[in-house]
Amino acid sequence: MATLSIKGVRKSFGSLEVLKNIDIELEDGGFLVLLGPSGCGKSTLLSIIAGLEPSSGGDVTIGERNVNNVHPKDRNIAMVFQSYALYPTMSVRRNIGFGLEMRKMPTPERDAAVKKAADLLQIEHLLERKPGQLSGGQRQRVAMGRAIVRDPDLFLFDEPLSNLDAKLRVEMRTEIKRLHDRLGTTIVYVTHDQIEAMTLGTKVAVMRNGVIQQFADPQIIYEQPANVFVAAFIGSPTTNFLNGTLEATNGLLSLRHGGGSLDLGGLQQDVGAFVGRPVVAGIRPETLQVAETGVSGTVEVVEPTGPDTMVILNVGGQMLTARLGSRDRPKLGQAMTLSVDARAVNLFDPDSGDRI
Amino acid sequence: MAQTRSSSKLLWDVVAYVIMIGLAIICVFPIIWTFLTSIKVDEDIVTREMVYFPTRFTFDNYVKLWFQSSYPTLVANSLIVTGLTVLICLLTGAIASYSFSRFNFPGRTQLMLGYLVVRMFPAVLMIIPLFIVMRQVGLLDSTVGLAIAYTSFLLPLFVWMLKGFFDSAPKELESAARIDGSTRIGAMLRIVVPIARNGLVATCVFVAIAAWNEYLFALMLTTSQGSRTWPVGLQLMVGEFQLPWGMLAAGGMISILPVVILFAIVQRVMVAGITAGAVKG
Ligand SMILES: Nc1ncnc2c1ncn2[C@@H]1O[C@H](COP(=O)(O)OP(=O)(O)OP(=O)(O)O)[C@@H](O)[C@H]1O
Ligand SMILES: [Mg+2]
Repeated sequence: MATLSIKGVRKSFGSLEVLKNIDIELEDGGFLVLLGPSGCGKSTLLSIIAGLEPSSGGDVTIGERNVNNVHPKDRNIAMVFQSYALYPTMSVRRNIGFGLEMRKMPTPERDAAVKKAADLLQIEHLLERKPGQLSGGQRQRVAMGRAIVRDPDLFLFDEPLSNLDAKLRVEMRTEIKRLHDRLGTTIVYVTHDQIEAMTLGTKVAVMRNGVIQQFADPQIIYEQPANVFVAAFIGSPTTNFLNGTLEATNGLLSLRHGGGSLDLGGLQQDVGAFVGRPVVAGIRPETLQVAETGVSGTVEVVEPTGPDTMVILNVGGQMLTARLGSRDRPKLGQAMTLSVDARAVNLFDPDSGDRI
Repeated sequence: MAQTRSSSKLLWDVVAYVIMIGLAIICVFPIIWTFLTSIKVDEDIVTREMVYFPTRFTFDNYVKLWFQSSYPTLVANSLIVTGLTVLICLLTGAIASYSFSRFNFPGRTQLMLGYLVVRMFPAVLMIIPLFIVMRQVGLLDSTVGLAIAYTSFLLPLFVWMLKGFFDSAPKELESAARIDGSTRIGAMLRIVVPIARNGLVATCVFVAIAAWNEYLFALMLTTSQGSRTWPVGLQLMVGEFQLPWGMLAAGGMISILPVVILFAIVQRVMVAGITAGAVKG
């Protein structure tokens, strides 16, 4: 177990700058989720932490030790790759025990350790098979087994669940969470699935084009996204953005938009300087509710999804998605009013996109 | 409709088989003829009337070739040269093609192309300079010298072929091995080489067959019994005796044996490689 500290890490491939000045501090036993769209540099950052790629600058510290010039084999980390990277010529047993074999652990102890890991992941019956004879989920477990058998300072997971079907993914997600609770090892976990990020992470770093947009607790990321990108990236369906002008009458804030005025009493932000200026309001679909007052518009699309009904409302030319209960099935073209919980609204500066 | 389709399919099958059988006969006939010649008695070989199917058989040609000529030495020399060539290629080429496959160093592309350029020139063009170089370093008329000469044009083939096999082994496997505690070389030997094993064997066999059968360089670079290889020695027999057809045929038969055996190995390995290719899924 160890802390992880990344300071000013940069990475360029030739003239292509992939990581720009990454700063991350993770406490001992923490679970950091790196979240971001494809190609934003998540895997590259993981490779740098693992020592597989040299960084172009900056420091990586694991525990108290600066590992900039330490070989991957001496960093005492374990990694699960997106493609699992099981050694195809070796049995599952040898795959899991390979790290111990390399570290010259005597065979009886190694067998015991492999058995313990296999028990934990319920793959004892697969030990003699070759990776080619396993299903995707089983391979995923073997890859996990290969990581946990080593008792490393730090786990690195690169999208370990992205090859699994939806049901298995949910199961394995729970299993990883349980594993983390049980082992308490520091974990860095890459994903572009925001549900994984929210459920697993004790800290989430949202990345875009090699820059960390926000590094905070998952709840903060959800409730107070640092900018429009984070607000749009987290949440499904995505956050609504309502353009308008911020107004204050008798100390009461409201947003004047194309379809009327929205009362913002209870807003959690200090927005004094923006009164009278254009702002963007980020409104989560799940905070909207059918009501007498609020934003009004006409129903454009109704999408029942089972537990919920997604309704897209045309509010003075701007589209607003609401996640309503399964009983709320408005008709197309019908007029509708939705209440907005102002405490859950975030206002953004339309020029920079940052949260005010 | 169905009738015509199946009858035209039958026609195509027949045509295809006729062509393939014809090709097979063209390929196999010389070998059969050589074999028949090698077991004919002398009177049946040079005759007024062609003897297609001999009625008298003898292994005299084999016995004479093996016990009364320098043929065993020739074969031994060939084996040594072939073995040395494969060994040099394996030791240098495997590491070279691994680094071509994995590292991106300056001049990498140019170097790889340079390897190919060697093979663009006809062998005849390289023989004279090679001869002069070999004479100056004192490697003329030695098995080592010949093996090095073979390496000069077989190594590029070896490196390029093997690079393909290394390329197809996922890089992440080595990353995993390095995290698990291997060095780069260790990861290559423990993880990549076993995966590319079939390719490695196949590549070695191709090089071995090429070295085993090579004639031109061997003719130019060897001058004595001590290092001469079988293709050259066999050819020289034509002068020494007066066209000993039976013995030449026997020599031919013996010398294709290793090639046949090697091809049998490659073929099995190749088939195994195709069926065991399930690395990811
Ligand atoms: N070896 C390399 N040479 C050049 N560019 C590279 C190399 N590896 C990665 N890149 C580039 O770096 C950027 C980040 O890649 P990276 O693999 O870290 O993305 P990612 O966030 O992991 O994406 P994904 O979610 O698709 O896995 C990409 O634009 C990619 O093209
Ligand atoms: Mg990636």
